[in-house]
Amino acid sequence: MKRFAVIVGLGLLAAGLVTLQPTPSAAAAAVGQAAPDFALTDVEGGKHALSSYRGRFVVLEWVNYDCPFVQKHYGSGNMPRLQKAYAGRGVAWLAINSSAPGKQGHFGAAEIKSRSKSHSAAFSAYLLDSDGTVGRAYGAKTTPHMYVIDPAGTLIYAGGIDDRPSTDPADVATAKNFVSTALDEALAGKAVTVATSTPYGCSVKY
Amino acid sequence: MAHGTRVFLLAAALTAPTLADASATGSSKHVRATLAPEVASIQPGRPFWVGLRLEMEKDWHTYWKNPGDSGLPTRIRWTLPEGFRAGDIRWPAPHRFPTDPLMSYGYADEVWLLTEIRPPAGVVASVVTLAARVDWLECEQVCLPAKAQLEIAMPVADAPPATGEHAAAIKSALERVPVTPTFTPKVTASPAELKLQVVGAARPREAYFYPGRAGVIEQALPQKLRRLREGFELLLPRAVNGSLPRRLDGVLQLDNAAFEVDVLIEGAALAGAPNTAAAPAGASVATLPLALAFAFVGGLVLNLMPCVLPVLSLKVLGFIRHGADGRGPLAHALAFSAGVVVFFLALAFGLLAVRAGGEQIGWGFQLQSPGFVVFLAMLFLLLSLNLLGVFVLGQSLSAAGNLASGSRGLAASFWNGALATLVATPCTAPFMGSALGFALGQPAPVTLLVFSMLGIGMSAPYVLLASSPALLRRLPRPGAWMDTFKQAMAFPLLGTVAFLVWLFGRQVGIDAVGWLLCALLLVACGAWAYRRAASTAGPRRALGLLSASAFVCAGLLVGLQQAQATPQKGARLADGWAPFSPERLASLRAAGTPVFVDFTADWCLSCQVNKRLALERDVVRDRFRAKGVVLLRADWTLRDETITRALAEHGRQGVPLYALYGREPAQPPRLLPEVLTPGSVLAALDEL
Repeated sequence: MKRFAVIVGLGLLAAGLVTLQPTPSAAAAAVGQAAPDFALTDVEGGKHALSSYRGRFVVLEWVNYDCPFVQKHYGSGNMPRLQKAYAGRGVAWLAINSSAPGKQGHFGAAEIKSRSKSHSAAFSAYLLDSDGTVGRAYGAKTTPHMYVIDPAGTLIYAGGIDDRPSTDPADVATAKNFVSTALDEALAGKAVTVATSTPYGCSVKY
Repeated sequence: MAHGTRVFLLAAALTAPTLADASATGSSKHVRATLAPEVASIQPGRPFWVGLRLEMEKDWHTYWKNPGDSGLPTRIRWTLPEGFRAGDIRWPAPHRFPTDPLMSYGYADEVWLLTEIRPPAGVVASVVTLAARVDWLECEQVCLPAKAQLEIAMPVADAPPATGEHAAAIKSALERVPVTPTFTPKVTASPAELKLQVVGAARPREAYFYPGRAGVIEQALPQKLRRLREGFELLLPRAVNGSLPRRLDGVLQLDNAAFEVDVLIEGAALAGAPNTAAAPAGASVATLPLALAFAFVGGLVLNLMPCVLPVLSLKVLGFIRHGADGRGPLAHALAFSAGVVVFFLALAFGLLAVRAGGEQIGWGFQLQSPGFVVFLAMLFLLLSLNLLGVFVLGQSLSAAGNLASGSRGLAASFWNGALATLVATPCTAPFMGSALGFALGQPAPVTLLVFSMLGIGMSAPYVLLASSPALLRRLPRPGAWMDTFKQAMAFPLLGTVAFLVWLFGRQVGIDAVGWLLCALLLVACGAWAYRRAASTAGPRRALGLLSASAFVCAGLLVGLQQAQATPQKGARLADGWAPFSPERLASLRAAGTPVFVDFTADWCLSCQVNKRLALERDVVRDRFRAKGVVLLRADWTLRDETITRALAEHGRQGVPLYALYGREPAQPPRLLPEVLTPGSVLAALDEL
């Protein structure tokens, strides 16, 4: 009798372990807090850690050259223009590709380099995050998805590139660009007025 | 009009609809879009529906008004004749397309997006053209933007229109549009989540909330459905880097029904931002190794509590009396440990299971039930009577107390362990509290692990003793002193009975205590009657046993019946303290008043100690007064869902908890350590 009770009790215990699932929580980077550090390799083979950029403003741009939303900003020259302008002001612009192998947007280094060249891209480095760890750490959802980090390592902007979610290049001219606004404010020592916005684009292909 | 012209016009009229029909449909690579009215003609002044039918290839989908984490909603731009107006798209209830770690909301296979067209009262033309420029994003693995320029030509007639060929399809599409619910959901915001509560409706099997816009909730995370006493609630995780609007709008899907939701979010002003209070401040346990260490130490300390000490010390007596007989002391010790650990796990599992069912309970839940307190009081009384020798379990008078027996097989040791766990429940050791508080906020396997560690800590000294022959040799030799010791151990148990009776009185009232004492008297009579019966034989024995059980049952019935009495919570507060409520706290904080909240319970011994040693001290009271701090007491002696929820918001599952709120309404509170000293309270107050 006792043994039976014990066995029944342990069986219920096992059943309970299966059914009582944990509540997952979003542990993504939050504006106002330290941006998660990472160590990634770029298409040239160089290694980049976020902590090594301490002392400079850093822009993270999640990219996928096959995505029509990314093509809107590269085809119109908008993204290369921003990259060049802010590089001149000492901002490190890191493009990150979190597409998993076999998924859309995952290219070999040679193809990335040639496509970047054809777009006249002017980022500091194009980083490969094929296992998606950095993308998940930042909660990167779309391409493009933009993050701005200040010299102290704090995330000061996270969200979309501008306020016109569309694939039409004509919208670039009339859109309010959140990234350049945030950078201009932060470089002038002022607080960022719009620190978050809804990101738009194709989904990151984890 | 000339005959030829008439023919021409007739021909044109006949062919024009055909030409127009050709551009009512447009296709992209994977989707065909068709514009289809519900009626065959337009009656001036009478609104009618026009559906945009999107037929999607297998595995391709288009998006809802909130596309989710990525994508674009389908958009229609109308070009209408003079005076015509078009309403907004009426979206049917969307579906979910999860691609870890992202979520999209939209439609697959086929969807009808309906627009209401409102013609003016006077229409001059006999045929009008409704043109729509439709843009959408179709996605499978890749996404392709698409557009179509669609047109339909419709005759205008004064009579009520005949139904068009698509009327039936449009009617069923209208049925899939979410409706206004008969219930009113209530939404409250806390730093980590939004709680959507529905009262008065039965808990559905499945529920999901589609937010009307992005940036409010984390769309890819699951939404927990919990049953409430009178309804249910859905927990929506808040978006990181999102914003909290004043109202929550979206579609609530309950099983197969979809409802339009648009409600004010309560507590939005004070809810703070997610991710800013990840781990509660103060000396709380935030990591698993620390929690396990605390649980182990807590288990060790439990051995010294008056509830447990007698039981365990008698086990040691068993070693002394029987030496290394049969399986050996180590085997018995391990069986005992197994009993302890298994029953702690059972307790944890029971707690988790009840919480998963939606009840708001935390650690200490067992003592919040007056019925359980009655049961424990009777159990402890019987145990102490057993130790005093009033009765013994078993046939022979010479079997000197089964608690002290060590020679009846491993099973007996196992059940002794179980008994030890049971008697440990009224006494919560200090370190135990924070370890359990941490554990209950974690996934189930972690909780069970911490509870096992508690059991291991509690049985550790015993196992240590049993495994060391050197230590065993140092135990005193058997002798008459053992009987005295055994009887002396009855008194800590009686002390626990006294505590339980006091607790019962605080929970239910002094009159009920009178009845409980009578019930305990009946139980004592039953114990004595049992002893008398055990020493006889035959029918007298049977009669004796029967009367003994009758006494005990009577006692139990009286006690449990008293436990059902209306609990009194009213005038139990010490002066200077006001009862806690979330509304009172919110209004005090909005006014910038500093507040100190004491989450306590009568059965929580560390709370009582903290009260006497720190909170009730004059110097501390004076400082509270000087700083203008309002004192709120959250009394958790009895079950209270509001307080349980308030504890959970601080990341805790049990008491004590001390929260000091400063003058800034937006700042999170400072949580004081579990063991209070006057110095630590004064230091915290000085920082206000």
